[in-house]
Amino acid sequence: MTGFSPWLAANMPRLLVWVGALCTLGLYSILYRENRVYRLFEHIFLGLATGYLIAVTWTDVLLPKWWVPMWDKGQWPFIFTLVLGLLYYFIYSKKHSWIARLLIGFFLGVASGQSFQGFVNDTWPQIPTSFKPVIPHAEVRDAAGKALARAVSWPDAVNNLLFMLILLCVMSYFFFSFEQKNVVLRRSAQWGRWLLMFSFGAIFGSTIMARLALLIDRTDFLINDFGTYIGGPLVMFVILLALIALVLYLATRPGAQEPEGGEESP
Amino acid sequence: MNILRLLQTVDRRFLYALLLLAVTVPFFLDIRLPVPISPQTQALYNAIENLPPNSFVLLGSDWSAGTRGENRPQTEAVMRHLMKRKLRFAILAFEAQSATLAQDIATRLQSEYGVKEGVNWVNWGYKVDVVNFLKALVQNVPQTASADVHGTPTAQLPVMQGIHTAKDIALLIDITPSSTYQAYIQFVQGPYQIPMGLAPTAVMAPEAFNYLDSRQLIGMIAGLQGAIEYEQLLGVVGKATRASVSSSFAHLLIIFFILLGNAAMILERRQRARLARLEGQP
Repeated sequence: MTGFSPWLAANMPRLLVWVGALCTLGLYSILYRENRVYRLFEHIFLGLATGYLIAVTWTDVLLPKWWVPMWDKGQWPFIFTLVLGLLYYFIYSKKHSWIARLLIGFFLGVASGQSFQGFVNDTWPQIPTSFKPVIPHAEVRDAAGKALARAVSWPDAVNNLLFMLILLCVMSYFFFSFEQKNVVLRRSAQWGRWLLMFSFGAIFGSTIMARLALLIDRTDFLINDFGTYIGGPLVMFVILLALIALVLYLATRPGAQEPEGGEESP
Repeated sequence: MNILRLLQTVDRRFLYALLLLAVTVPFFLDIRLPVPISPQTQALYNAIENLPPNSFVLLGSDWSAGTRGENRPQTEAVMRHLMKRKLRFAILAFEAQSATLAQDIATRLQSEYGVKEGVNWVNWGYKVDVVNFLKALVQNVPQTASADVHGTPTAQLPVMQGIHTAKDIALLIDITPSSTYQAYIQFVQGPYQIPMGLAPTAVMAPEAFNYLDSRQLIGMIAGLQGAIEYEQLLGVVGKATRASVSSSFAHLLIIFFILLGNAAMILERRQRARLARLEGQP
């Protein structure tokens, strides 16, 4: 707070909430139509996020890990990382672009090597667990009493069978290397496509859940956080109702038509 | 205008207005709806509950203000549990805003549970290059995460005593709206067989069920709903629980809209078909 006026320092929490509320309402003005207020706040948000990223990258990463060791602690070889990084800019020179490609090639090699390890650890464990028991049985133990296999109940077996069928159907959909003339393969591929649609539906439903959670967070902020600064949550609720009424009036007044594609009319 | 046509062409702003009402009105109602606990939320809760005292948990916090609505309640719920059980934990952020956002939550909650920064928890701060950082971290924790967000060397902090490699981490949890959890699976959970939990946004959750099935993940808090369930398990009324009725009302409204719109479409098609038949008759 050094340098800030005492009034500003004392009222900082209040100001932050006010700015937050104005930004929230400004951004939600897009719900009425594309407008300049929305664009202004959108650009402010993007600018802030980018500026914050640059500042934090310097203060939390480059300053302690690169600048301080090199400048203050005399670990001068760190300067070579800057030189190597700058070599990327040779990409703009027709004559010397090969220098940049050396670096790009190096990092492509590193990333490819890492992705091998990543792929094995990511996908490999999913292969054995895709083989599921479809016949119900009791728990299996060895002579020493050590559990070898968990019990499989009837509901588990049905569930596992469904899993196996869905897995095979979806995999058969992705056989693109040859024409699917076989009737069994063609049918299972069709089922696979339908089952994929179900999963896309689940993902879409989850997306709606996620977006609603964001809306709830913002309205909670407006009603319960900002509301306390303007006379209580009920006052904020009344203001929101008034804004809704205004938007609906503007939307339904004679001659008011939603612009095509949501673009602002000139 | 035909009512069936009207139901399919209603101005979207009317729907937004109704949705906003469905979300805001429950803030003024004293309603508590039953929340069934999903198996994956229960599994993560049990995993933390069954950790030995003083265990060390690595808490990946990789979210920004854009997904605060989901990831903040998740972070709060998980931190409450860790603090309640007096488990040690370290916050690690691969998202620039997340180190600060998680720090704010932990600082606010610590007095409630009588825990202290540096003793019970530490914030390693924002790091870049997920893969290479994790590959270094698993081999040498104090050297890779050498200082906390305040610049204090982590080797001096009581919370870090006895933590040398990934093998000293009892549980790994990533709270994320992106695919950072896959890097944790690929370079920490997989090679070192460390139990891992996940708190993704709802949109990420369906993809993560594969990892639950293969037991690469031991549990999951899926979106806001997962956070609501977790707060139920903890017996606290936090942000998520307060949002639960709004969430239910909003979903019911959307389902109602979908049913209404589709019913109108089907009925209109039948109406048209009937009219076409009548016009075809002599």
